[in-house]
Amino acid sequence: MLKNTIRRWWDLRLPIALLGLAVTAAWGVRQTQGAPLFEVYNWVSRPFQANGSGQEQLISARTQELQARLLESEAQNEKLKELLGYVSAKKPQGIVAPIVGRSADHWWQQITLGRGSNDGIKTDFTVMGPGGLVGRVVSVTPNTSLVLLISDPTSQLGVGITRSRNMGFMRGKGGNQAVMEFFDNVPNVKPGDVVSTSSFSQLFPAGLPVGKIVSVDMNKTPAPEAIVEFSAPMNSLEWAVIYPHSKEVEQKASAGESSASAGGEKQ
Amino acid sequence: MKALSRMFGRSRKFLNFGVTFVSVLLCLLILPTRMPGMELLGISPNWLLIWLVAWSIKRKRTVWGAASMGVVLGFLQDAMTAPNPSHAVSLVIVGVLTVVLLKSWSIPADIVERDPIPIALIVFGMAVVAETVMGLQFLAMGDRALVEIWSDHQRVALCSAILSSLWAPVIYFPLNHLWEMTRSLEKS
Repeated sequence: MLKNTIRRWWDLRLPIALLGLAVTAAWGVRQTQGAPLFEVYNWVSRPFQANGSGQEQLISARTQELQARLLESEAQNEKLKELLGYVSAKKPQGIVAPIVGRSADHWWQQITLGRGSNDGIKTDFTVMGPGGLVGRVVSVTPNTSLVLLISDPTSQLGVGITRSRNMGFMRGKGGNQAVMEFFDNVPNVKPGDVVSTSSFSQLFPAGLPVGKIVSVDMNKTPAPEAIVEFSAPMNSLEWAVIYPHSKEVEQKASAGESSASAGGEKQ
Repeated sequence: MKALSRMFGRSRKFLNFGVTFVSVLLCLLILPTRMPGMELLGISPNWLLIWLVAWSIKRKRTVWGAASMGVVLGFLQDAMTAPNPSHAVSLVIVGVLTVVLLKSWSIPADIVERDPIPIALIVFGMAVVAETVMGLQFLAMGDRALVEIWSDHQRVALCSAILSSLWAPVIYFPLNHLWEMTRSLEKS
């Protein structure tokens, strides 16, 4: 009887061993939370996974993103330093003047300031308001000065996008807005970008904050256009600060730069 | 009145001129201001235009007189803004039109003097004419795009016309009264 039982068990030794192995393996898998399964899944599905070059593409895209972010922070950092330096360098020289009048007709965007040549103001001086650039002095009397606002359609100035350094020029549109036309066909610009005066501008010093992009029209011919909203509230200004600036100095400086660069090229 | 006329003596001949001069000066000085209630979308009444209409609407004004007064006022406004394009063109047209209109329609002067509605209506129309002429001049100069001029014109012409016509009686009635008074003084 016993012999028979043992023999039967002995005949079943292989299935039992296999069963034990399976249980042990399953327990092992359970204990390792399916690690081998996933390894196998990974091994099996590897031929169907994205290939190596795709991985590299993703990685390089990520790198590019990080590089772009770094560049942006660097540009911002530079800009902030510039602004800080600008404020500390220019503030003592600025002449604060109250705004005593607005344009005497409806087609010109002008303001009249309550200080003039008696305070050392000359034509072409730059006028800043709280928030950014406001305009340029066009005529001076002993105690008043007439300022042509940058919102006037006749005042054009070279500006650039602070973030991407895309350059263009801006034309006033009346009120609180202006139209910026880009030199590039596909400028890197989006709403919210900060606009400042560029070194192309001869009437204004470079690097002054002007405003923000509110909308972009890429399909405009001949060049893409963007609407700029001034950061200085043109319609509710009550005072302005005038900084010395003259066209001649700027032109001389740019002439000197170009001659220097020409000399560098020769070398 | 008698005391007043005696006091001025000889100079009363220049009284009318004095009233004209001082009122133009006041209109010029009020141009750059933006007082609350006198402003719509940053646009104030066209005081010189109101003054010119008030001047041209009086009896015995000639076309040439109105035109030369328009030139004077236009040059004065040019001096306060920018010389190109000249405001004189629009103001000459306004002055001449006002005189021609009054003569061709033969509107009785006493109706205009009693009622504020005709003066307001005339100023409304003239303001639109003046701003249109300015817009055409900008177009002829060519440094502004047609679309910009058109959108500017709509805003400027409408606001200027509404405000100018509303404020026209404020200029016209005191001025007219003063002119009448000084003229009677000069005659006496």
